[in-house]
Amino acid sequence: MQRDKFFKEVENVTHPNEKLVKTHCSYCGMQCGMNLRVNTKTNKIIGVEPRYDWPVTVGKMCPKGVTAYQQTNHDDRILKPLIRDDASLKGTKEGFREASWDEAYDLIVNKFQELQNNYGKDSLSVYSGVSMTNEKCYLTGKFARVGLQTRYIDYNGRFCMASAAGGFMRSFGVDRGSTLPWTDLHETDCLFIAGSNTAECHPTSMFRVWAVQERGGYLIVADPRETPIARRADVHLDLRPGTDLALANGILNQLIQNGYADEEFVNKHTNGFEETKELVKLFTPEYTSELTGVAPEKIIRAAEIYGKAPNAIVMFARGIEQQVKGVDNVSGYTNMALVTGKIGRPKAGVATFTGQGNGQGGREHGQKADALPGYRKIANPEHVKEVAKVWGIEPEEMPEAGVSAYEMFGLMEQKTIRGLYLLCSNPAVSAPNLNYVREQMKNLDFMVCADFYLSESAEFADVILPTTTWAEDEGTVTNLEGRCIKINKAQEPLGESKPDWQIQIELCERLGRGKYFSHLKSASDVGEEFRLASKGGNADYYGITWDKIEKQDGVFWPCKDENDKGTPHMFLDKKFYHPDGKAKICALPYRPPAEEPSEKFPLRLTTGRVVYHYLSGNQTRRIQFLKDMCPEAYVEVHPETAQKYNISHEEKVRLFTLRGEAIYKVKITEAIRKDTVFVPYHFGHDQSINLLTIAALDPMSRMPEFKACAAQIEKLELKKVQ
Amino acid sequence: MEKKRLYLELENCIGCRSCLAACTQCGGHEERNRNYVYDVNPLVNRQTMPLMCLHCVNPACARSCPAQAIQIHETGAVLSALVEKCIGCQNCTIACPYGIPKFDEEQNLMYKCDLCIDRTKDGIPPMCASVCPSNTLQWLSDSEIEAKQKQFNLDNGKWVTSLPYLEGETNVKVNLPGILQGTTKLF
Repeated sequence: MQRDKFFKEVENVTHPNEKLVKTHCSYCGMQCGMNLRVNTKTNKIIGVEPRYDWPVTVGKMCPKGVTAYQQTNHDDRILKPLIRDDASLKGTKEGFREASWDEAYDLIVNKFQELQNNYGKDSLSVYSGVSMTNEKCYLTGKFARVGLQTRYIDYNGRFCMASAAGGFMRSFGVDRGSTLPWTDLHETDCLFIAGSNTAECHPTSMFRVWAVQERGGYLIVADPRETPIARRADVHLDLRPGTDLALANGILNQLIQNGYADEEFVNKHTNGFEETKELVKLFTPEYTSELTGVAPEKIIRAAEIYGKAPNAIVMFARGIEQQVKGVDNVSGYTNMALVTGKIGRPKAGVATFTGQGNGQGGREHGQKADALPGYRKIANPEHVKEVAKVWGIEPEEMPEAGVSAYEMFGLMEQKTIRGLYLLCSNPAVSAPNLNYVREQMKNLDFMVCADFYLSESAEFADVILPTTTWAEDEGTVTNLEGRCIKINKAQEPLGESKPDWQIQIELCERLGRGKYFSHLKSASDVGEEFRLASKGGNADYYGITWDKIEKQDGVFWPCKDENDKGTPHMFLDKKFYHPDGKAKICALPYRPPAEEPSEKFPLRLTTGRVVYHYLSGNQTRRIQFLKDMCPEAYVEVHPETAQKYNISHEEKVRLFTLRGEAIYKVKITEAIRKDTVFVPYHFGHDQSINLLTIAALDPMSRMPEFKACAAQIEKLELKKVQ
Repeated sequence: MEKKRLYLELENCIGCRSCLAACTQCGGHEERNRNYVYDVNPLVNRQTMPLMCLHCVNPACARSCPAQAIQIHETGAVLSALVEKCIGCQNCTIACPYGIPKFDEEQNLMYKCDLCIDRTKDGIPPMCASVCPSNTLQWLSDSEIEAKQKQFNLDNGKWVTSLPYLEGETNVKVNLPGILQGTTKLF
């Protein structure tokens, strides 16, 4: 058990007629430890108690975590399957009637078979998510490829972690979100954090971040907004949205010019240095400043601090990743660590703040359009053979790679995809260019949505299947460190809800594919098969048993066998995962955002989160405390910009882009650039900022550019407001 | 067991209001939160700070109560009004120099932070300090607080809010914003 200076021996409070169930939060990649309070008479979850003995978060929780338990017995839970017979009501909450599981399954099987008979196997698609266990994520891949036999499966990580994954694969040859455990963070000497609103999106990292400064270490933050973490930074690089690569190149150039490159490390353990050195020469502080809007002296100072720091960690998040060059941004910032050799040892390295609870594990095990369990690739015949053997199919039966999440909507428009099985995701809020996306969902021949609440996306479904919340099932997730941990069951499923894995197995049995699924009777059975399927892959979980997780407070992958304790620190032997064992320093020419401001659209629109809500808000908008704290979307505007438009605090304005428009209340703050406006993306229907965002995709990760597009504000006439 | 106290490091606050959410989770709090988090300068920056009951050694709320409804626990925690004694006069809400006591109009009853007395009487940290993600709220022993005092030393010798800034001696110790300015950098 790793116990650092924050760890304190504390006994938990247990009230009469209550028991505590150890588990983790349902929300973000921090996966904070928590105890759920369960009434032993009603066997229902009634509250939360801190889990002081969890080494990563030592009892700490954000407001979402504290109130997460309120999801399970919430009045909005869907308790029975729902069927809507009148397709004209799609896109609304209306017209659903309760049905038995048998009726719902029969209808789905009939419709799926009819579509596949008429239009081929690939007329069906699966759109999944990673706010669920490894077991569910793994089985969903198999469900699509073996159960439904379609090539079209992808997942919401495409809007979340895909760029980090692409960047790490290119730089290191392996995609583990953090090269070190979080318990290293407070012991480093410099944190360089780009595009992460850490205090709001991963709040329980903050006590470690502040501890760096308390020790006399440095905090550098790159963000267009003065977020709560940027407010206290030693250097705040207040860049224009969408210009990260220029900043990364500019800092790298300073590091090299001022002698901070570690030549021995570079020569022995990396490729690509000379070429990169030449390319970044262009990025002088002045030129970088021109592109990014950051003052030259800040760029110089940031590079000096990072260069001098004995140990430093480069961290980033969606701010740099949700761009049309997200993968380049990731490799660009990762270059800093590779050139200076600040990686492959404790207290130094690179990490991304994983967004979703299982954003790491969920992307490794075969929900991605082109991937198979263990981070294998469909394009690799050997990989296909290995997985086909575990699944009991012939390699030839393995469907080809599909397309990315957003591109599936394009195939829906073309009628290549006619049926959709949606689970664990809410693309009617989270996808970019929503007017288009919602139209395609409406035009589907048949849509199934598995969820525990009636989300905005469920409003487009013909059948809704009630699933369990995280606390009504068990399994593993992989947190943002790459540590595989255990989610425990605290309560029996409410109403007739079922865990996703059970629903998928029962559907496959009815589709005549039972022989591949019927041996799986429990989450643990699925887990055992999943370990086997990952064996030998880059993300090898074979040695991770539920027992070992319990004993070791989680197990870091790769973990190849029973005796392997796992890998908290990556690359300690300076061996990277490319065939020659070297990491790649990448020469990355700068590209501007896909849509630059113009006369008609002079503002830069960027989007993000608030501390009170999680992703599309389908869960958190229903929790009273969180709703009270942040009930609606708003647009953040700098006072000087507001003056130009003659708009005032709390006034409603029309915000619009080439793709869509919405009306928001203005929130005036000096903590944002004058050329930038910000809207949180957690809200549905006409409040969704994604009505306005652009669907320009990164060529490698297929990540849309949520973080930068061109927008305009219009003052509303009094009549329109009323 | 060494006595522990609530210790506030205002500089750390990130405005997440997790302390308020957690307050509702203490068994004795009837799912109502009892403290405050303020935006310090909302149109300018994102600085926030919690305003917690400081559990005064000689509390104005208790002194002003005509019904002696506000008791002081042996740990020093100033408790919420006794339901059977509180007459709903709201003297305490006016007397408290920090505006801590809240008032329930329906029940005609004052309620305030009791420092999660069910937990803290046994040395278990209160809910707010347990969950606080930024270590703005901490539950520390006197020797740990002393170490903090040595670490953060301002020129004027004042490291915690103490007289003359506060109305009197408090059980909760407060570390002022800006205190990090005194930190010596590593390099």
